[in-house]
Amino acid sequence: MSSIQWQFPRLPGVLNPTRLREAAQERVGRWAQKRQGKDPRNTRLLSKRIYILPTGIGLIFALMTFAMLLGSMNYNNNLSFVLTFLLISAGLVSMHQCQRNLVGLEISFAGVDPVFAGQSAEFRIAVTNHARTRRYNIQLYFGRIRSDIDDLEPGESRVFHLDLPTTARGQVSLPRFGIRTLFPFELFRAWAWLHMDLQGLVYPRPADHAPLPPPTETAHGHRQHDARGEEDFAGLRKFHSGDSPRQVAWKAFARSGDLLSKQFSGADTSSQWFDLRQVEAADFETRLSILTRWIVDAERTHADYGLRLISDEIPPANGAAHRHQCLEALALIDFDSGSLS
Amino acid sequence: MSRRNGTDGSLLASLPYTLGALAFSIAPHVQYLPVWVTVTFLSCSAARWYIEKRRWRLPPAWLRIALAMLCFLAILFSYNQTISGVGPGSALLAVMGSLKMLETRVRRDQFVLLFISIFMIMASLLREQYLWSLPYLLAAVLITMTAWLRMSQARDVSLLHSLRSSSRLLLYAAPIALAMWIFFPRISTPFWSVPIDTSSGRSGLSENMSPGDISSLSLSDAVAFRVTFDGAVPPPSQRYWRGLVLHQFNGRSWTGREPLPDPKARDRISATGDAYRYQVTLEPTRQHWIFALDIPVDWSPETIKMGSDLHLAYTFPIDQRIRYSAVSRTRYSVDSQLTRMARDWYTRFPEERNPRSIEYARELRAAAGSDERYINTVIRAFHDEEYFYTLQPPVLGRDPVDQFLFQTRRGFCEHYASAFALLMRAAGIPSRIVLGYQGGELNPYGNHMIVRQSDAHAWTEVWLADRGWQRIDPTAAVAPERIESGMSGAMFGEIGASWGLNAPAEWLHQLTLSLDALNARWNEWILGYGPENQERFMKWLGMSKPDWQKMFLTLIALVTIGIVVISIVLMRRNRPPPRDPAAVLYGQFTRKAGLPPRTGETPFDYAQRLRETSVQQSDCVDRVTSRYLKARYGTPDEHALQELEDAVSKFRRSA
Repeated sequence: MSSIQWQFPRLPGVLNPTRLREAAQERVGRWAQKRQGKDPRNTRLLSKRIYILPTGIGLIFALMTFAMLLGSMNYNNNLSFVLTFLLISAGLVSMHQCQRNLVGLEISFAGVDPVFAGQSAEFRIAVTNHARTRRYNIQLYFGRIRSDIDDLEPGESRVFHLDLPTTARGQVSLPRFGIRTLFPFELFRAWAWLHMDLQGLVYPRPADHAPLPPPTETAHGHRQHDARGEEDFAGLRKFHSGDSPRQVAWKAFARSGDLLSKQFSGADTSSQWFDLRQVEAADFETRLSILTRWIVDAERTHADYGLRLISDEIPPANGAAHRHQCLEALALIDFDSGSLS
Repeated sequence: MSRRNGTDGSLLASLPYTLGALAFSIAPHVQYLPVWVTVTFLSCSAARWYIEKRRWRLPPAWLRIALAMLCFLAILFSYNQTISGVGPGSALLAVMGSLKMLETRVRRDQFVLLFISIFMIMASLLREQYLWSLPYLLAAVLITMTAWLRMSQARDVSLLHSLRSSSRLLLYAAPIALAMWIFFPRISTPFWSVPIDTSSGRSGLSENMSPGDISSLSLSDAVAFRVTFDGAVPPPSQRYWRGLVLHQFNGRSWTGREPLPDPKARDRISATGDAYRYQVTLEPTRQHWIFALDIPVDWSPETIKMGSDLHLAYTFPIDQRIRYSAVSRTRYSVDSQLTRMARDWYTRFPEERNPRSIEYARELRAAAGSDERYINTVIRAFHDEEYFYTLQPPVLGRDPVDQFLFQTRRGFCEHYASAFALLMRAAGIPSRIVLGYQGGELNPYGNHMIVRQSDAHAWTEVWLADRGWQRIDPTAAVAPERIESGMSGAMFGEIGASWGLNAPAEWLHQLTLSLDALNARWNEWILGYGPENQERFMKWLGMSKPDWQKMFLTLIALVTIGIVVISIVLMRRNRPPPRDPAAVLYGQFTRKAGLPPRTGETPFDYAQRLRETSVQQSDCVDRVTSRYLKARYGTPDEHALQELEDAVSKFRRSA
C-alpha cells in the first residue's frame, strides 16, 4: 500500500515566497543603506533611523480590541469600554516604548576571529545602553541569522554574536545587520539597520585526507633545536607578526622607524617548507586545503614550518601569529595569479 | 517526537504569572461556572506548572484532542446544548484556556492564554457590573500586563520590577483611555440581539402567578429599580408601580399574554389628580415590562409602548440597565364602557374548580344588592375575619382558592389578589390581576427612591359600570402596614419574632442607604453613560450641538496630544545620565586645543601628543591634565572642579 503524497507545485523562481522575501529584504536593505549611508564602526542609534511595524501578534491584538469595541458598543457596557480603551491605549503606549527601547543605544563592532571555511564566523557587536532606564529584549540579526536576546541594565554594555556560516575561503562580509526589540508586549517590532560593512577572514578548510607533509629539512645544523638559530647574522628582513621581540632590530627601528627582523643563517633548525607547487592534488583549492591541514598539524607539534606560495614565501617559524600569517596568505591568495607549473 | 512535547524549564520565569493572570480573570466566573470547569482549570494549571518544573513531557496530542472533545461535550451537556451567551461562552473560554496550557510549549504560546484571560475579564463585565467591578478590572489588567511584560524580559527580573513597569505603562495609558471613554460616541441601538445568561438567577417578576405553589417567598433585597422624582413624591399608599396584567384564570394560575403595543391605549385613559414626574433606572429583568406609577400618562423614550391592558413594555428584552422618564396621575378612569366580548373575557373562570368560593361569591353578591356593596363586603370580610398575612403560607391543593378562603386563611398578596379576583368574576364583575411593586424607600443620601425585589406585589383591578377599571388591593385590608410602611415593616414582626431578633441596627441601615446612594450615582454616571448622559456631559463641557463627528474629532485630538506627551516623557526617561562636569570642562579644553582626543587615549597620552604636535603652553596643558584627573577620579571635591575650571579658562591655544 502506498500512500499518495501530494506535492506542492514548484513555483517559478519569481513566485517562490522565500526567494521573494529574500529579494525584498535585499532591496529594502539597499534602500536603507542608500538612505543612511555607511555607518562608522561605532554608531549611536537616533530615532529617525528606527523603523517600527506591528507584529503578527499586534495584528491579532488589534482585531481582538476591535471585536471588544464592537461588543462594548453593542452591549452598551461602559466597563467593557473601559477595558477596551485601556488595552488600546496600552497598545499605543507600547508602540512608543518599543521605539524608545532602541533610541540612544550605542552599537560598536567588537571584532571577528578568523575561521576555517565551513565554520561560522562569529561577528562580535557590542551594544551599550547609556540611558538611565533598562533596555529589554534586544536582538541582533542578519537575514535568518539571529543573536541571543538579552536585556541591558543602565550603563551596561553587552557583546552580541552573529554567527555567519562560511563556505569558501576568503572574506566573509556582513554588509549590514539589524538590531530589533519586541518590548514591551511584542505587539510592535522596532528595528534599525546598521551598515558597517564588516569583514571577517576565512581560512581554507583543512583537508580531511591530506598526503603526508614533505620531510623535515635540517639545514646546516647538527642538532635539533626548537628555538630559532641565532648564530650567524645573515641580514635584515621586514618584520612579520610572530617574530620574537628579541629578533627585532631595535637599533634600526630607532633610526628609521621601520620594524625589521634580524635573520640568521646557519641555524641548526629543523624546518619544513610547505610549497604550493609541490602539493600533489588536482585543483588549486584542494592544494590550499592540504596546505592548511599541514599548517594546522605542524602548529600542533610546535614544529617550525615555512610556506612557499607562487611569488611569496614565509620563512619557517611557529606560533599563533605565524600560523595566522600563513593561513591568511592562503585565504587571500588569488587563483588567477597562480599559474601553477 | 520527544522534542516536540518536551519542556526545558524555560517558561518557569513567565508561566506562573500567565497562569496567575488567567486564574485572576476566571475567579469572578467561578460561582456561575459548573464545578467541573473550575476543577479542570485548577488541575490543568497545577499539572502544567509541575511539568515545567520537572522538565517532563507534555501530554501527547491524542490525549489533548480527546480531552478537548470531552470538555466540549460536557459544556453542551451542562448548558442544554447551547454555547451562545455569557455562561456557556465563559465556560468554553475557561476550558480552552485550561487545555491550551497543556500544549503551551514555547514562550509565545502564552499569548493565547493572555488573550483568553482578557476575554474572560470582558465576559465577567458583561455578566455583572458592580461598584467593585472597576477596581477588579484595573487589577486584572495590571496582572495580565505584568505577565505579558515578563514574557519579553529576557532576564529574570524581580516581580516587583515588572509590576512597576506595567503600572507605569498603565498609568501612561490611563489618561488616553479616559479621553476615549468620555468622547467615544455612544449609540443607543444594539447591532445584534444579546443573548444573556439566564442561569445567573436574578430575581424578577414571574410572568404568571400560581398562589399555593410556593410555600415561602424569599425576601430579596436586590434593587428592582430606583426612582428620582422631579418635585412631589407620592405618599406610601399611592406607590403602586404597575407592571404586567394577568387576566386568564385556570382555577389555579393566572396568566397574561405577550406584550402587544396598542397605539390607542393611551387615549382610553382620562386622568385627573396630581401629576408626578420621575425618572426610573431599571435593573435588567430580561423581560419587556416597564414599571410606572399607577397610571402613566406620558413617557419616554419611544422604545416604550403601551399595551391594551395599559401596561408599558420595552421593545427589547431589558438585559441591561435602562433609564426612562414618565409622568403619572393617581386619579383616573379607564374604559368607562366595556364591550360585551371584553366583559366576557374578564369574567371567565373554570366553573368546576373552587366550587365553594364560587358558591360563596354568588350568595354574597345576591345579599349585597350592588356591585359596590358586594366589593365592600368582601374587603370587610378579609379585614374582619381571621385572615393572616404571612410569607410562609401552606401549600395549597387542587382547589387553591377554596382551601385558602375556608381552611388555611394564610397567605401573601398573591393569595388575596387571586381569591379576590375570582370572587369578583364569580359575581359577574370583570376583574384582573396586576403584578408590580408596591412601596419604595426614600434614600436621603441620594435623594432617590429604592424599590426592591421584596416590594413585589400583586393587586387587582375591577371594572365598574360608569367608573371604569378601579384598583383594589385586597392585601391592604388584611395587612394595612404592608401598604403603609412597606415590606420590611410588615415582615419584621413575623421574621424577627421567629428568629428572636430585634430590629436591625440603625447604623447598619444608614450604611446600606449611603452605599446605595453611591451605587445609584455609579449606575447613573458610569454604567449609564449612554447617548443621553454623554450629550448632557458634552453640553456641560461647552460643546454646542454635540454630534458624533465632533466627539470623534475631539477624541482624536486628545489621543494625539496624549501620545505626544507620553513620547516626550519617555524620551526624557531615556536620556543618558548627566555628564560628569569635569568631563564637560575637559571637553572644552580639547576643543580649545583644536585637537580631538582619540578613542581610548588617556589624558597623559593626549597631553603628550598635544605637546608634540604644536608648541603649546605645556605647563598649562599639564595643569589642566592633572586637575582634570583629580576632579574626575579623585575624591568628590567642589574645590577641585573650580580649579579645573580656572585652568581651562586660562588655557589659550598658542598660534
